[in-house]
Amino acid sequence: MSLTRARGCLLGLAAGDALGRPAENLPPEEIARRHGRLTEIEPGKGGTDDTEYTIFAASLLCRYGAAMTPADVAREYREQIIPSIDGPMRGAGFSELGAVQALRRGLAPPMSGEWHQHGWSDGLAMRAAPYGIFAAGDPGEAARLVAVDGVVSNGVEGVYGGQAVAAAVAVAMTGAAPAEVVQAGLAAVPEDSWTSRNLRAAVDAVAAGSVERLYAAVVVRHYPWTDLAPEAVALAFAGYLMGAGEVEESVVSAANLGRDADTTAAIAGALAGAGRGEAAVPARWAREIGPATGRCLPVVAGRHVLDVATALYAASQNAHAPDDEAPR
Amino acid sequence: MQSGDRTKDAPGTAADRVAGAFVGLAIGDAAGWPSARHRSTLLAPWTRRLERELDAFAEEHRLTTLPVPFTLNQPVEPLALGPSDDAEWLAWTALTLHQDRAEAFTALGGRSDLRVRISVRSALANLAAGKPPPVSGHDNPHHFDDAAAVRAVAFAAAAPGSAALPDLVRADASVTNSGDGVLGALAMAAAVAVLVAGGTMGAAVEAALAELPGDTAIGHAARTALTAARRAGDPFAAVPALDAALVDHVYSYGVAAAQTVPAALALAEVSGGSLTAAVPAAACLSSLADSAPALTGALTGARTGLRALPEGWCAAARTLTGCGLPELAGADLIDIAGGLA
Repeated sequence: MSLTRARGCLLGLAAGDALGRPAENLPPEEIARRHGRLTEIEPGKGGTDDTEYTIFAASLLCRYGAAMTPADVAREYREQIIPSIDGPMRGAGFSELGAVQALRRGLAPPMSGEWHQHGWSDGLAMRAAPYGIFAAGDPGEAARLVAVDGVVSNGVEGVYGGQAVAAAVAVAMTGAAPAEVVQAGLAAVPEDSWTSRNLRAAVDAVAAGSVERLYAAVVVRHYPWTDLAPEAVALAFAGYLMGAGEVEESVVSAANLGRDADTTAAIAGALAGAGRGEAAVPARWAREIGPATGRCLPVVAGRHVLDVATALYAASQNAHAPDDEAPR
Repeated sequence: MQSGDRTKDAPGTAADRVAGAFVGLAIGDAAGWPSARHRSTLLAPWTRRLERELDAFAEEHRLTTLPVPFTLNQPVEPLALGPSDDAEWLAWTALTLHQDRAEAFTALGGRSDLRVRISVRSALANLAAGKPPPVSGHDNPHHFDDAAAVRAVAFAAAAPGSAALPDLVRADASVTNSGDGVLGALAMAAAVAVLVAGGTMGAAVEAALAELPGDTAIGHAARTALTAARRAGDPFAAVPALDAALVDHVYSYGVAAAQTVPAALALAEVSGGSLTAAVPAAACLSSLADSAPALTGALTGARTGLRALPEGWCAAARTLTGCGLPELAGADLIDIAGGLA
């Protein structure tokens, strides 16, 4: 059962990324004007940085497992990401671009995630799902592990956003109800945080059935960028709740809320896919998900999220196998 | 300049150094290229629309001659050399010092005639939504900017020897900022307090560093900037090293306290407190030119006092235009600084 949840999680994430892509940075009214209700993946376009960074995070877990350190992650950035940047770095969040610049300057984590101004970016939240798969059923461990990766590129609220997603996925992997999944995300972050305040406001707004109230509570209106983790994670969880945890409805709900729509739909898809399993991802969407192009991260080119999910599941099983600590 | 302005504050007095901090900040504000852009908000909106269209034209036709703010069929005064937003926020702070900080900002809420930084705009929205400080400054996309560092100059000038100064500064800063944004304000206040009391620039920089833990971005950057500037030995010589060490080329809103406050501290120190050496160098850090020159001017002006500052610059910088806070149009910064004594 966990394998299909792992595959559903990353397939749902990739589908949300691809479906939300044309809605990115648009307000709901503009999405409605252009697409009516956006329910289909643009054929042949595929996903973005959300999928590719998720594959990268999964490969870190396969390699290092629970013993991973921030220094390991920084070394992987230096060896796997930075050398393959030929000219401009394409399709990355502010936090990843900032972290690369910081690492190029010789800074080490956690300063690499604090030196730039984009610690709040949703760049960790967008790649947090593999940590929840790896630590399925253990939201505390998922939140701990994602922060090991997170401090390389993010600070404070950006790390919290990743922790909320990873912890929620860890609980979704048990088949828990959406309300319980969201509570696990909330429990992973400090109560006195922007992320927590926004998540609670999102839960209330969805319960009240009011997108207007959701927007008023979590969307930062006087700011030209949409990738603030406290906002994006709240919109993603709202979409997941609006869709009652069903993959199609969760992804579509999140994408049609707009803002950082590829990331929010990817997170909603990861939560719903983990809860419902691979078969619950609409087949017409699954057909559109091919191997990663490496457009954003050349090192992941050719890898398919379903293969990555299977490998990650196997890594998590090995990590938890009783004979793992046997003398060699 | 009106006669008699300077007679009451003899050189070498704390009052002269307070006026020096205020006018020094305004001179730096005026020296940076963004000042003219801020002041262009005093022109009719179609003037700025035409400027945007000409920018697009220059892009399309591959022209290097950029349309900087201009005043077609408009009064030309707003685009003459002069102060802009930072000088106005310093003045506003001096005039509202004794009000509760959340109340002072809340009173600005709902106004449609303000031009403010992203941190301030978001804080006003938070206050209106019932999020009081420190949440108003924390749940804020530009919590890290230097809006509060500018305002901190007023608090330090008003109460340089007060043990309550850090608390006053933190209370003000927390309305609009958190993290490095608050630390930058505490550092500026500590440095200006030392200078207004007659201390050296070296002592002022030490006082600022004491507010900036080394494991924060602003603390790390301040020490990096000081090392770079000391190695260069001279403010202008330090510009390339500071650009390389401090400037975030990924994100182009150059008002992060972790960049501007360290630049100001480093240039003020290596100049030995000379505004005419430090401010032009700060203005050469083009991506930080919105506020780093102003902070640099506040530090060096507080060190030397108003009387040591160049007369022509004082005359150009002392009168506010109201480009950010319209009610301050025509206000005289030297009068406002005098009101603090």
